Amino acid sequence: MIKVWTIVILSIFVFVLLTPIYWSIATAFKPPDEIMIYPPTFFPRDTTLIQFGKLFTAGEGIFVKYIYNTFIMVLITMAITLPTSFLGGYAFSKLAFKGSNLLFLLVLSIMMVPFQSLLIPLYNLLNKLNLLDTKLGLSLVYSTFFMPFCIFIMRTYFSSLPTALRESAVLDGASELKILFKVYTPLSLPAIATSIVYLFLETWNDFILSLIFSSSSKAMNAQVGITIFAKTRFTQDWGLINAGCLITMIPPLLLFLFLQRYYISGLVSGTLKE
Amino acid sequence: MKIKVKKTLQALLFLIPALLLISIFFLYPLVNVFITSFQEWEALGDSKWIGLENYKETFQDSETWQSLWNTVIYTLIVTPMIFVPAIIFAVILMKTSKISNFFRASFFVPYVISFVVASYIWLWIYNDTIGILNYLLISFDIIKEPVNWLGGTWISRIMVSLMVSWKTFAFSMVILIAGLQAVPLEVYEAAKMDGATKSQEFFHITLPLLRPTLMLALIISIAGSFKAYDHFYIMTQGGPLKTTQTIVMYINKVGFEYYDIGRGSAISVLFLIILLIISYLQLKLGGFSND
Repeated sequence: MIKVWTIVILSIFVFVLLTPIYWSIATAFKPPDEIMIYPPTFFPRDTTLIQFGKLFTAGEGIFVKYIYNTFIMVLITMAITLPTSFLGGYAFSKLAFKGSNLLFLLVLSIMMVPFQSLLIPLYNLLNKLNLLDTKLGLSLVYSTFFMPFCIFIMRTYFSSLPTALRESAVLDGASELKILFKVYTPLSLPAIATSIVYLFLETWNDFILSLIFSSSSKAMNAQVGITIFAKTRFTQDWGLINAGCLITMIPPLLLFLFLQRYYISGLVSGTLKE
Repeated sequence: MKIKVKKTLQALLFLIPALLLISIFFLYPLVNVFITSFQEWEALGDSKWIGLENYKETFQDSETWQSLWNTVIYTLIVTPMIFVPAIIFAVILMKTSKISNFFRASFFVPYVISFVVASYIWLWIYNDTIGILNYLLISFDIIKEPVNWLGGTWISRIMVSLMVSWKTFAFSMVILIAGLQAVPLEVYEAAKMDGATKSQEFFHITLPLLRPTLMLALIISIAGSFKAYDHFYIMTQGGPLKTTQTIVMYINKVGFEYYDIGRGSAISVLFLIILLIISYLQLKLGGFSND
């Protein structure tokens, strides 16, 4: 049992840890002149939505487009990665064959090679395929580099489920696809939930890939969008930047709030092999 | 026998989508980066073989070494800043209960925010004229004059590391908690019977038994620090005087600003080899991650 004084100290620490986030949110709700005053006000005196108005109307609503792009890329990445890693994880676990371990090592090797070292060839490849500055092109890159973790999670999870289930279904004459969807899918929801949070956070929070592989509002994501808002103004508009930060961090925070159980335990089991 | 063949074919069928993606967007670029590192690219897209010329240039270029050095220094600063809180809180929150789950999740909140957002949040706190950090420190009489937190080489390295520690220590913490939970409780009970104090318990039981997990978490964290890009791009732009320019920043500069594809690829290969060595250690210690 945790002692009372430990809880007090931990609570203070949580308070300190969350203060920077509060400070950003408070700033986003202040009018421009209140942001610039010194000493700063800890609670917004005149709470206002002015900053959000600026954020959503600037450049004919370009920030809305960035948010939209990010959502679409999250969806495409999930649509590619979830079925791919679900089938892959199942094959590696329940249909293991001669040489499948070698293929599994190939999948894992992607985790060992940082995509930061492949930016130049990836740029040339996307260029050749006419996929530069497109949501599909970026999503394909996301899918490739975020898939190994999902395959790993799925494989581990399928391996924890009894093989007898499959064998009795095979005897009943069920096809492999039917076994997977009818028998194993309902049991593997936690692994799918983990993959969903992981894919959402990795895709939503990406910066470097979007920065390099997109050059217009066609495919640019919200993270790069904020940096553009921060850079293109003569003086840094902190109200606008903090409003952009708030809007950009809401979706991952909400998802985490609801699925944190799956996410944290999934990260641990995806990191430690056993 | 027939069933076995069918099973293998089925498995391969299930693996085709994954293998297709991997071949196009991983294996092909991987082979390509090695090839282009031995080539020189001309303006019109022609390329010619120049042997080890790119590598020679890379090794003679002081900016490569400077960027590598900056990355190493940053790693050395940020790693203890992540692991001191991670170990302390892992020990406190080791036992699973409603309360400790609540605190673990609370500590995790900064981890799910992007590096971009986290960088701007802290840039605003660090602001040298109207930032809240200067205001608080001056009102508590800790400093007399406002400090330009990102103005100097060492101070900016430390302040960026502080942000990274705030954002990421919880990840290492939960890995360490998993390691601590694997230590059998009987060991602690036996130590208690022998009259061990809390600090003896920590240094003579907890730490040695946690060592494999600790090493693994350390290596994952070090690999992450080597890939640092977003926060330096936003908080310092590599400055002052390129002293916080990381190796990934330099790869992008050479590749996408100077358009020197060959030399950019050579630095990429170098970076890749360093990371593979780190990953090899990770694999040997028994873990995977891509974080």
